[in-house]
Amino acid sequence: MSRTPASPRPPQWAQRLLTILVAAHLQEEVLGDLDELFYKRLQRLPAFTVRLLYLVDILLLLHPRLWRRASTTEHTASYRSLTDYPKPFVLHPAMVRNYLKIAIRNLLKNKAFSFINVLGLSLGMVCCLFIFLWVTDERSVDNFHTNGQNLYTAYQTVFATGQVDGNYNTPLQIAGNQRIFLLEDAKKAVPEIQHVVFYATGYELPWGHPETFQLGERKFKLEGSRASNDFFTLFSYPLLAGNAQTALKDVRSIAISRKMAELFFGNPYKAVGKTLRYENKMDLMVTAVFENLPRQSSLKFDFLLSWEAQRGSLEWSSNNFRTFVQLSDGTDPSLVEAKINRFLQPRLALPKEVKTQIGFQAIGDQYLHSTFVNGKPEGGRIEYVRIFTGVALFILFIACINFMNLATAQSVKRAKEVGVRKVLGSTRIHLIGQFYSEALLLACLAMVFTMLSTLVLLPAFNSLTNKQIPYPFTQFSFWMGLIGLTFLTGMLAGSYPALFLSSLEPVRILKGILRFTRQSIWFRQGLTVFQFGLSIILLVATFVVSKQTSYVQNTHLGYNRDNLIYIRIEGELMAPHNYHLFKDQAAKMAGITMIDRSSEAPHAMGFVVDDADGIAETNVDDDAINWEGKPKNASVGFKPTSVGFDFVRLMNLTVVKGRDFSRNNATDSTDAFLVNEEAVRQMGMKQPLGKWISAWQKKGHIIGVLKDYHTHSLHEPIKPLIVDVKEYEYFGVILVRLQAGMTKQALGNLERTYNRINPNYPFVYQFLDQEYAKLYQSEEVMAKLTTVFTALAIAISCLGLFGLVMFSAQQRTKEIGVRKVLGASVASITALLSRDYLRLIFLAILIASPVAWYAMQHWLADFAYKISIEWWMFALAGLSAFVVASLPVGIQSIKAALVNPVKSIRSE
Amino acid sequence: MKGDQLGEFEELVLLTIALLYDDAYSVAVVEELGQRLERPLSLGAVHRTMQRLEEKGFVHSRFGDATAERGGRRKRLFIVTKAGEQALQEARRVRNDLWAGIPKAAFGGGIA
Repeated sequence: MSRTPASPRPPQWAQRLLTILVAAHLQEEVLGDLDELFYKRLQRLPAFTVRLLYLVDILLLLHPRLWRRASTTEHTASYRSLTDYPKPFVLHPAMVRNYLKIAIRNLLKNKAFSFINVLGLSLGMVCCLFIFLWVTDERSVDNFHTNGQNLYTAYQTVFATGQVDGNYNTPLQIAGNQRIFLLEDAKKAVPEIQHVVFYATGYELPWGHPETFQLGERKFKLEGSRASNDFFTLFSYPLLAGNAQTALKDVRSIAISRKMAELFFGNPYKAVGKTLRYENKMDLMVTAVFENLPRQSSLKFDFLLSWEAQRGSLEWSSNNFRTFVQLSDGTDPSLVEAKINRFLQPRLALPKEVKTQIGFQAIGDQYLHSTFVNGKPEGGRIEYVRIFTGVALFILFIACINFMNLATAQSVKRAKEVGVRKVLGSTRIHLIGQFYSEALLLACLAMVFTMLSTLVLLPAFNSLTNKQIPYPFTQFSFWMGLIGLTFLTGMLAGSYPALFLSSLEPVRILKGILRFTRQSIWFRQGLTVFQFGLSIILLVATFVVSKQTSYVQNTHLGYNRDNLIYIRIEGELMAPHNYHLFKDQAAKMAGITMIDRSSEAPHAMGFVVDDADGIAETNVDDDAINWEGKPKNASVGFKPTSVGFDFVRLMNLTVVKGRDFSRNNATDSTDAFLVNEEAVRQMGMKQPLGKWISAWQKKGHIIGVLKDYHTHSLHEPIKPLIVDVKEYEYFGVILVRLQAGMTKQALGNLERTYNRINPNYPFVYQFLDQEYAKLYQSEEVMAKLTTVFTALAIAISCLGLFGLVMFSAQQRTKEIGVRKVLGASVASITALLSRDYLRLIFLAILIASPVAWYAMQHWLADFAYKISIEWWMFALAGLSAFVVASLPVGIQSIKAALVNPVKSIRSE
Repeated sequence: MKGDQLGEFEELVLLTIALLYDDAYSVAVVEELGQRLERPLSLGAVHRTMQRLEEKGFVHSRFGDATAERGGRRKRLFIVTKAGEQALQEARRVRNDLWAGIPKAAFGGGIA
């Protein structure tokens, strides 16, 4: 029936209302019915009434029946025509079963592809898993304390003369020979502070040294610390015996570890109440035995002496001790910081231009964030954690890109399947489900491989990273991480095939015109560039890191540290005549080249002296350094070193101006100084020779200038050095240069002599080269890991490239055939196929180089002495990538070019 | 729900569907039955009943043609199934038996 446009129509809003109210499968008929009634009524009733009736009908229609979903019983099924068949839910069990069935068939059909895929994914996941283990381990340090969330370590931020500095020291004041710890009264001033604990390792930080304990015949050196009374209350180091509240109260008390108790008493439960001889100076009473420290404790000690014992006779040269506080539950540390600072300011007695502020760092953060950036502890190991996390994700991503590329390579075959499925009524969502399932299945397989390989490789990984990470079978978070990782990998890897292939139009596929759009080609090429870009960045990183590491380890420090050992001067050796006895006897023995002494070990020389507020000495007092022409406001503090006459020769140092100390010069032991070039620079002397210096109550003249040499790690700039001769000091170390190849014999001789002269102390020596090696442990680990990762990344990338070239050869089978028939040579076809890919690699090199350069500059910034990044590193990285990449590309291209054209063209 | 009791109104609707045979759909049933009962029926009531009948298996439905006056929408056509026919026969038999059993005197017949 025809209607004029002017004729009334059913109210639209009511229809819209119905589309909301009425179940989808009923809408058509109901709305149709209503319309039909409407127009029928129009013929005999006025429009207004009809409209009203329309609404009445709607009201009468409203009934729960209408919004019930279509049930799946056979009767309602008859409600639908064929095209109306219900789509089963994507994750319907039957669907999932089907997905998996098809997925397994596909995997088995393309064994090579599946293998490459699983291999690539496993490699990526193994990386990730190890990093995950490592990071979890790093993050869990110091997290075992029961009051952990209320424990803080104090640090200070010092603002002076436009500079901001930070350290873990806390202010103290020296009044006469009394030391006042300014935070001791903090509890009184700030009620939120429940406990304050002072803690210090042996002196000469950061070179804490083992101390000697003796019980009858047994004598051992162990490393320990001093701590104030609340230590065991604050921290959760469980005691096997003794009272936590009072263990460290008494001046002569000592708490020892289970290990130490077993060493001396055989049984940790028998130790309490017994005495130990300490440094042959005093007897200490064992008041508590604590369980050996957990691996995850960043504080390391085998014994704790009472803080009080140290108070009067502090051996420390500075305020180098830690302060820990426990705040009451739920206290905001910044609030306490503010209170503490208000309380401290008037008591600090600092010069105007200097400001010190106390901050609190959560105990769990101190291990990873221990380097100060702008006066706050924000850098440190956390950067390694971040870098590695990033690298792990990179590698996983590379592996996933691979998967995508390989899946694409197969997509020509799979496209047909997609077409048929769509014709048979699959919707896109089902296909997405299918492809994701395949990816997840592969990821699961890879996961199984991964678990096995991590299990096998964990010991190796532990030795690489100097950790003892157990395999976390029992950790919930580990399994969650594992499942999460599998899922993430599957979803990431499956995303491209799932989203791209499922979007193809069935008609075009089945007609056989499967042209990939420009966009998808761009996308894939982009992925490849990205992959190789990452690999190249890693390659450059490998070169730089390993070169820097070997530079650091092999740089001539300016003195020869091979075959050089040092022994602490202690016990009987503190008496000068015994030292000389030892020296004279040892010097005659086989294997010993030279022997001398110095007031500290070579790698601890030249520290800048700070006074209690953490700022270099500014006012001239007895301890400070003064020199001819020192400006009023110069704030340079040196720590002078005293050595024997042979020191310069023993260390193989170079005297650039003037002369070395000499026994023949009567005044040398009273009036002579050697300084290094850095000290000359810092003192601002043009002509240093003959100028006077006063250091530590000794005034003398500079007789020579030493060529600068590195005393510390190359992270730090060379320190100024002032050396004088003191043959008769009661402290310091004995330096012995051993003859190469005679080490064993020499050590044996030394030990016999030592035991004769100093029987109460065990003979303990340190090799200097090993001490230095310790400084670069984290770089070592970095270098090794980077190498491993890079190798992996490149391997995975090449696997992917392999797949890609295979794919493009498949795409162009006919073209290649035709070209061959028309007389193209194998070489020209190989070139044709390779060209595109090698171009991509080239692009990747271009893009990656600046990024790599920037990243490596950032890493190197940490070193005071570093290699320069040179162009050849990029060239080499690029070339290696190129060469490695041309292998799979070449192999695949040649393979494609060699195919008999008859085969490839015949199909039509 | 198969073999369920046939309600009274359901029976009427089912009979109408049978009557309309080839063109039995909701609006037609509303009009036909409305005329015969001489009272207006609501579309909702009829619609619901037809749905119920289908659930009970007494009718079978399919989509018919779309018409302009339905706004281009298809109508749902109903046809009585075997089970529907049996249910109607049964209802009829019960009624007939009842009619047959009513004593003549009951309806004021008798003496004449």
